[in-house]
Amino acid sequence: MTPPIIAIEKISKRFGGTRALHEVSFDVLPGELHAICGENGAGKSTLMKILSGVITDYEGELRIDGQTARFSGTRDAESVGISIIHQELNLVEQLSIAANIFLGRELRWGGVFCDDRAMEVAATELLKSLDCDIPPSRLAGSLRVGDQQLIEIAKALSLNSRILVMDEPTSALTEAEVERLYRVIAKLRSKGTTILYISHKMDEVFHLSDRITVLRDGQFIATRNAKETNAGEITKLMVGRDIESLDLGPRSSRGKKVLEVRNLSLEWPGHARGYRLKDISLELYQGEVLGIAGLMGAGRTELLECLFGASSLPPTGEIILDGVPIMPRHPSQAKRAGLALVTEDRKRLGVFNSMNVGQNISMCSLHEAAAGPLLSSSRERRLSDSMVSKLRIKTAGLTPPIGSLSGGNQQKCIVGRWLLTHPKVLLLDDPTRGVDVGAKAELYRIIRGLCSEGIAVIVTSSELPEILTLSDRIMVLNEGRQSALFTREEATQSKIIQAAT
Amino acid sequence: MNNDSPSLLGRLWSSVEFKLILSWLLVVIATMVLDSNHTYWNASADSAQIVLRQTVLLGFFALGSAIIVISGGIDLSSGSVIAMSATVFGSLMIVLDPEGFKAGHVYTTAVILSIAGTLLVGAMVGTLHAWLITSVGLPPFVATLATLVGLRSFSRGLTPTLTGGKSQIDFPDDNLRNALKDVNTITILFIVFALALWFLMSRTVTGRHLQAMGGNEQASKLSGIRTDRLKWLAYVIGAVSASIVGIIFFADQGSAKPDIMARGYELNAIAASVIGGCSLQGGIGTIPGTILGCLFLRTIIDAVQKIVGAGADVFEGMIVGIVVVVAVTFSQRGTGKLIGKRYFSDEIGWSVIPTLGLLSGLAYLLFFGKREWYAPYQAILVGLIVIGALAVRAVLESRTNSSSRV
Repeated sequence: MTPPIIAIEKISKRFGGTRALHEVSFDVLPGELHAICGENGAGKSTLMKILSGVITDYEGELRIDGQTARFSGTRDAESVGISIIHQELNLVEQLSIAANIFLGRELRWGGVFCDDRAMEVAATELLKSLDCDIPPSRLAGSLRVGDQQLIEIAKALSLNSRILVMDEPTSALTEAEVERLYRVIAKLRSKGTTILYISHKMDEVFHLSDRITVLRDGQFIATRNAKETNAGEITKLMVGRDIESLDLGPRSSRGKKVLEVRNLSLEWPGHARGYRLKDISLELYQGEVLGIAGLMGAGRTELLECLFGASSLPPTGEIILDGVPIMPRHPSQAKRAGLALVTEDRKRLGVFNSMNVGQNISMCSLHEAAAGPLLSSSRERRLSDSMVSKLRIKTAGLTPPIGSLSGGNQQKCIVGRWLLTHPKVLLLDDPTRGVDVGAKAELYRIIRGLCSEGIAVIVTSSELPEILTLSDRIMVLNEGRQSALFTREEATQSKIIQAAT
Repeated sequence: MNNDSPSLLGRLWSSVEFKLILSWLLVVIATMVLDSNHTYWNASADSAQIVLRQTVLLGFFALGSAIIVISGGIDLSSGSVIAMSATVFGSLMIVLDPEGFKAGHVYTTAVILSIAGTLLVGAMVGTLHAWLITSVGLPPFVATLATLVGLRSFSRGLTPTLTGGKSQIDFPDDNLRNALKDVNTITILFIVFALALWFLMSRTVTGRHLQAMGGNEQASKLSGIRTDRLKWLAYVIGAVSASIVGIIFFADQGSAKPDIMARGYELNAIAASVIGGCSLQGGIGTIPGTILGCLFLRTIIDAVQKIVGAGADVFEGMIVGIVVVVAVTFSQRGTGKLIGKRYFSDEIGWSVIPTLGLLSGLAYLLFFGKREWYAPYQAILVGLIVIGALAVRAVLESRTNSSSRV
């Protein structure tokens, strides 16, 4: 057997209170395409950041070509031939393509001056090897995401990288761009480049990889040869349980119609498609969960934002809540009408880091905690406490900073924040993102419990099992259009994937 | 979960307010000892009054500034708004009661209308800021930078057209002047103002929303908070508080010279709020902290004046600079981390050592240059000692290697 090019031995990493990786060990063989699979929060990205020198303090050992490697920065990793293409691309948009490729290692003349000509010539050469004929003097910011990604790959090539890490590279690409990426990958492999490919898309993983390693909750689960396994097994390993069998008790019966959306559209100026959402119509009943499935960029978040009056452009169409047409242009109007939105990006759009647990929970219902304009701290405490006990939030009281709670408990605080506004419709945008498995199941129970109280719920998720577990009906979005609507009985993973792609 | 419920004493100890009170006491005691005239001891009432007046004058617009900073913005215009308000106040009196203005007895009605008008103009400036920021979409820094330069120039243009060509407006009415600059009056006014703002920030829904907006504007908007209106409120409070100072300052100085009046004061206001624990990132800060920040800043400036003697107003900027650096460094990290941190172990660290030595020597020269026991070698020696001490520290830091890298 050939000796491994990368050996990962018992690597662990914690972020504050959360365990991102726990004693992960596996090998990568030279020249193979090794896929790393796992759900969101499984630790894939953390591991790759360690491998590429972005994260420098961790426990355990990393060996490259049998030599122990301890990178103190990305430069160290690059010098042994490891490059990473991050999910969020790292380009300086104001600089040219050539300048980006050679950023930090500029070709010079006379020791101080940038040799733009030489860099452009070299960049043209690199891009040509990737079947890409964009002039290297163009600004990186003017390129489409797919092309920007190629620039990153060109940069990796210019470093003579032997090992290339790609973190969910297709998440923002069009089909044609994905095809091109596949061709580029084939070319790199023919040159003997070892590729670590992170993804949770099964079709991609099986199309490309030699071996597949599954991580779950920061732990190594298994490595399989792609030829000897199938998507079903890998999915099962990723999820770690038969999520469909998660018993959430009997479903509540459907009540009267609360929300109706007719022909909702949202423009997308400056984009080839021209719209983010097109002619979306839906109905929602009391006590019901409507799941919204779709790939990244299909318009799930945009749809919820439109309903909540939080889209940057005004949508067109009709939104009817309890028989009354509303078209909120600000979240405050939506809130008053009886809508609530738990956002996808909890860190950026949800929590108030400078505030404590109690203040985070009471944020949307302060008027209820006030006598006239003055806040009553006892009333505020009572409100927040009621949510801590109702949602079983694990916290040492209301005064610890919100950041000291685990992701799942932070999410519960935000759900609690909105429940205090007594919403008729609760919009949950990927509510279990970055939440560990235990807390996920609890959130599912909470959502179902709310339904039995007569609240109508719309939930989106990047994880199909989640949508299937939670939803009474499932709407599938595909590039901003509604491509299918299934009842719970009809829906299967494969039907949804078919409608989404 | 960490143990996040420290004792009352522990919380008190770690609060900015408590640290400021302690440092303030230290400064006062040090001044009592070091000041050769022992002014704080012999004439405590007079000294207190001087510091109080300075603190109150700074406090008014520093509180306004603090509210803007806490809500996530910044106001660079307060110095110019002060100058403009003094000019507008004077101009309104000239327009409303030209006879009285010349005779030195302005009608009370005219005075009240002029004050109301000035405050209204302040509110209008605040509204302009809010509009530039929310509707035009300028960063607060740019919007208030524009009014910082623009409003002063506007006041300079306004003054000669109303005074018949003069570049300043003299305060017309001595009785009025004494009433407006009376330390008891302005202190009571300030207490009322500060209490109102303290109530707003700590006890009302609006105050909580302002703080939330400063901490996370996007999340606030998505929580159904009308962030645009809150910004309007913050900038109006900021500008009106500067207008109040403009009126008092006009009386205090006896004349409004729009070209030099209150120049650079906006930075003192921001410095005071930062010393008082406000974060320029927004979301963090309190009204009592800011008041203590003002008190501390004005006391330390006064103390240096007492110690150094005449001509010490030159040092004001230097003191503000040092205090801001030290205060912010301390509030950003705990004391323990401060000591363990590596300051001088890399190229930048090494190259700053001569700068710090030179600064110390010069500071010594400026502080004690006029004393009879002063000799040039002392300043040089001080500089060399500082360089030596820092060099030792640098060597020690590089010995401990990467053990305590932050």
